[in-house]
Amino acid sequence: MKLNSRNLVMSAMFGGRRGPRPAAGNPTSIVCHGLMKKAGASFPDAHTNADAMAELALAGHEVVGFDTVMPEYSVVQEAAALGARVDWGDRDKMPDVKEFPHADFSDIVIPSDFLEKPACRVVLDALAILRRHVGGRAAVIGKVMGPWTMSYHMAGTQNFLLAVGMGEAAKVTRMLRQLMPVTIAFINAQFAAGADIVVLADHATRNLVGPYHYEQYLLPIHQEITAQVGGPVILHVCGNCSDRLELFARSGVDAYHFEWQVDSREAVRRIGDRISLAGNVNNPQALLQGTPEDVYKQARYAIEAGVHLIGPECAIPLSTPLANLRAIVEAARAGH
Amino acid sequence: MADHLNTIKDAVIGGKHGEIKGLVQQALDAGFDPSAIVNDALIAAMDVVGKDFGEGKIFVPEMLVSAVTMKAGLQVVKPHLAGGESRSRGTIIMATVKGDQHDIGKNLVSMMLEGAGFKVMDLGVDLCVDKLIDQVKALKPDILGLSALLTTTMPEMQKVIGELKDKGLRDKVKVMVGGAPVDRAFAEKIGADGYGANATEAVELARRFFGVSA
Repeated sequence: MKLNSRNLVMSAMFGGRRGPRPAAGNPTSIVCHGLMKKAGASFPDAHTNADAMAELALAGHEVVGFDTVMPEYSVVQEAAALGARVDWGDRDKMPDVKEFPHADFSDIVIPSDFLEKPACRVVLDALAILRRHVGGRAAVIGKVMGPWTMSYHMAGTQNFLLAVGMGEAAKVTRMLRQLMPVTIAFINAQFAAGADIVVLADHATRNLVGPYHYEQYLLPIHQEITAQVGGPVILHVCGNCSDRLELFARSGVDAYHFEWQVDSREAVRRIGDRISLAGNVNNPQALLQGTPEDVYKQARYAIEAGVHLIGPECAIPLSTPLANLRAIVEAARAGH
Repeated sequence: MADHLNTIKDAVIGGKHGEIKGLVQQALDAGFDPSAIVNDALIAAMDVVGKDFGEGKIFVPEMLVSAVTMKAGLQVVKPHLAGGESRSRGTIIMATVKGDQHDIGKNLVSMMLEGAGFKVMDLGVDLCVDKLIDQVKALKPDILGLSALLTTTMPEMQKVIGELKDKGLRDKVKVMVGGAPVDRAFAEKIGADGYGANATEAVELARRFFGVSA
């Protein structure tokens, strides 16, 4: 295996040859103010302009040294393309959905030109730019929201979860199934645009729902999604999901991007033989408030536990010091 | 006699939102003390729900249904409470900080605090520092409750506390913080007066601030 960033990441995705060091990867955003300054591109432009989006992703690889480039920083691209009103935020604020177009659980009709809507097109264009710049050398990662997260944006999170709590299974399942084709189409379009891997972000997190909710509503849908997409998929669900690791391993994904709250040794022991594990460096305590030494120590713990792709556990706070982000790369470069 | 209260309590725990109003009315008709219905049935139920949530036995969907059920019961019993609204134990402002649209945790805390007898003013989500300071000045709450779900927005809490200090308001209001990425260490670091890991802990914290027992 030629030892470049892409190959290290792709090998890690499938538990293959390890090479001399683990890969440092970011399935979710590593954009912080320091990176924006270095890249000369910033929010909110980097959510809506493909060049700025790609420039910022490249800086993660070229300036900080991550082995991946991942250009989708928000969680609202699909919602915007589906007609939700989105506030694209500013340099200090991530985008968010302002109004929920299907709070009444009315039928969702997917526009036939969904992939050409500006909020989707920009991601596809950015992936193509990245492919041209670093294809074959760094791993190009795309990101798509799953039907559960999109339901939060279509119906409102509280409204959606209340329907789950009320046991309105038919209503909940109908919305999920109406949104599932969006996830499949966007994942496949991202592969076609140049992604090596796509992240499936679907926030059925323990902070909100139980493993039994995941198993009842989402596991069958994730299995259908993974069966219908054409490349490797990393599942991202934040929070302490140690109570549902085995369910994730049955979903058909190739890797799970997980939080520090789940002990890495425990995760590797339980599901590391079936899927790869990514992430695991704590955001609030280590990356945001800690020192580079704190981050390094935590990253080394996860590497030694056998985490395949080391990186932040989730989108990092925008005020994260760049030196802390670099400490992850340094920990990876210290070898296995 | 206690059967009525237990039935109400079980209905809230089980999220029987369609039945709660009738059950509370039956208890009132049977001559139960309205404050006993609130404290020994409705709030007592939410204490159980909060504990089950903290232990990971139930999750937000079930907790939401129980909170909605409790609120419906509270609406029936409120007009019968001695002194009506004047039973408030204190005033609390609740808000999700700037850049954060997430409100479920805050809403659950607000509902639980209301149920526990506090006057709650929910300012909503995405509240900038200046607006929060203006509201603290205008409404003079006893407690300011700040919520953040995102690691990207939790630094806003520190800004709010800093501004309260700069404006000479810090000793006039207790600040409690919560939300998924927030923990006790962070709360202490930014100078908050307290941290609640979940809605039940937030209610306990508010009670402690006011020196009241459940």
